[in-house]
Amino acid sequence: MTTDTFRVVSRTDDIPQGKTLCISTNAGEVLICHTNEGFYAVDNLCTHAAARMSEGKLKGCRILCPLHGAAFDVRDGSVLSKPAREGLRSYPVKVENGDVLLGGIS
Amino acid sequence: MTTSAKPGQARAQGPTIADTLRGDKKPAPCPLLEQQYQFIGDEDIPVERYIDPAFFAAEMAQLWPNSWQWACREEHIPDAGDSYVYNIGPYSVIIARMEDNAIKAFLNVCTHRGTRLIDGEGTAYTPAFTCPFHGWSWHLDGTVRNIPGRWDFPHVSDETHGLMQVSCAQWGGFVFINLDREAKPLEDYLGVMVEHFKDFPLEQRQIRVHVQKLLPANWKTAQEAFMEAYHNFETHDSPHGANAQYDIFSEYVSRFIHNIGNYSPEALSDYPGDKWRAPPMTEEQVLAALSVQGRTLAVGETARQVAAQVMREELGEQLGVDFSGYSDAIMLDSIEYHLFPNMFFFPGVMIPMVYRFRPNGEDVDSCIFDVLVLEPLAEDQAHPEPPDPIQLDVDQSYTEAQELGWLAPVYDEDTGNLALLTAGLKSSRKGVTLGNYQEARIRRVHQTLDQFMASSRPFK
Repeated sequence: MTTDTFRVVSRTDDIPQGKTLCISTNAGEVLICHTNEGFYAVDNLCTHAAARMSEGKLKGCRILCPLHGAAFDVRDGSVLSKPAREGLRSYPVKVENGDVLLGGIS
Repeated sequence: MTTSAKPGQARAQGPTIADTLRGDKKPAPCPLLEQQYQFIGDEDIPVERYIDPAFFAAEMAQLWPNSWQWACREEHIPDAGDSYVYNIGPYSVIIARMEDNAIKAFLNVCTHRGTRLIDGEGTAYTPAFTCPFHGWSWHLDGTVRNIPGRWDFPHVSDETHGLMQVSCAQWGGFVFINLDREAKPLEDYLGVMVEHFKDFPLEQRQIRVHVQKLLPANWKTAQEAFMEAYHNFETHDSPHGANAQYDIFSEYVSRFIHNIGNYSPEALSDYPGDKWRAPPMTEEQVLAALSVQGRTLAVGETARQVAAQVMREELGEQLGVDFSGYSDAIMLDSIEYHLFPNMFFFPGVMIPMVYRFRPNGEDVDSCIFDVLVLEPLAEDQAHPEPPDPIQLDVDQSYTEAQELGWLAPVYDEDTGNLALLTAGLKSSRKGVTLGNYQEARIRRVHQTLDQFMASSRPFK
């Protein structure tokens, strides 16, 4: 993947640490997560029952589904607790000049 | 050794902890000057209590469903909808923050077919609870929200099928649960701790680091390695602790105090070798052992006074907390309160920990040891989001949790004997022998455990 595929999706200031921002893309809804370790992006729909993770909560680097409580690590999308079995797709993110850039989506 | 006609009256030679506290430049608060000990027996503790699956099963039926236990800190669940899952043996509890800021706790169980509602342990977010099996759901307060195909359940109502509530109470910034809905109030168990900790409010603390380690021993074997300072000489190669003070305040609460920044060479009189005894450490050596750099002792100053003052200044500046009124003892000493059955609270500043020892699931031979380093928090500062626990397996070293700093090798030493203890207990011909004074707190826990085994109601 080249840097050309990155696009600006937000200003860093618009997503306080501990908060998330849901954006629409060609690949569907993507959740930008501002953790104490930096910015990460994962699919917004839970792999278990398709609830919106944006209605859940970011705790540290874990995003918690509001429906059945499944937890995922936003750093790589991996699943941390049932009832989900599959991880969330994750996307590359970088920060430049106060902008949050999302990659991995054509 | 001081001999005595009556068991339990003998003490180590030399100055006592009370002597040290009375001589401190900044005097200790009243609770630390209280002393309460009485001889409670000297029979061996049967090894079955540590290794027998039947005894362990009885604890699961009689002890854990009837004991108050801290489950999380209040700052783990700051907002409505925040929740925390706490597991003990086969039981699991959801602690949730309500819309009105109250905290309630429920069994983590669907009232339809019994599915566990939230997997794992730790912080969760549950604006409503939804079972992943048939989709029954509940409001945050546990009342029924929706039952798909309700027409088939005319026999189901809020009264019969709300989430099953358990007792819940708060103290010192901790949220406690008790599976027994008719449990005696938490305050009845806390006893003197309510009064004592008014001087050392744990509410005004934050979790600096939380480490959760699996240990290769029964939960009692493990916690008993932390209930006396008698092991300090051999396990930690340390002179501190041979004259520690032990108090038993009630059937639920006990305490030890051992000084840091001074020690009693006389208390080591019959320990092997001459180390720390002949000759004793100089005050300069004691100060150096506390890693106090660039400070020499003026005439009449003691290492303890100087170390306490350096810590007041340096840590005070670092944390933004005014320690000027804190006693030398609170700044330095290892002061450990134990709350039955498995919780430890340290009001000190240099040694500010909280411990919890729980069975690892339903395994008699292993346990989960939680260590919180609970750092004083500036008065004008809100509690930050607590860190997730650093999880260590049996064979991992505490040094892998770098945040523990100087404590990490100490915990490796404390837990390094446990596999040997488990192995030895399983091949012993006799019970466990306890010192009348230094190990009396351990005996008190077993006596209270017997009370629970004899009188508590089974889980229902």
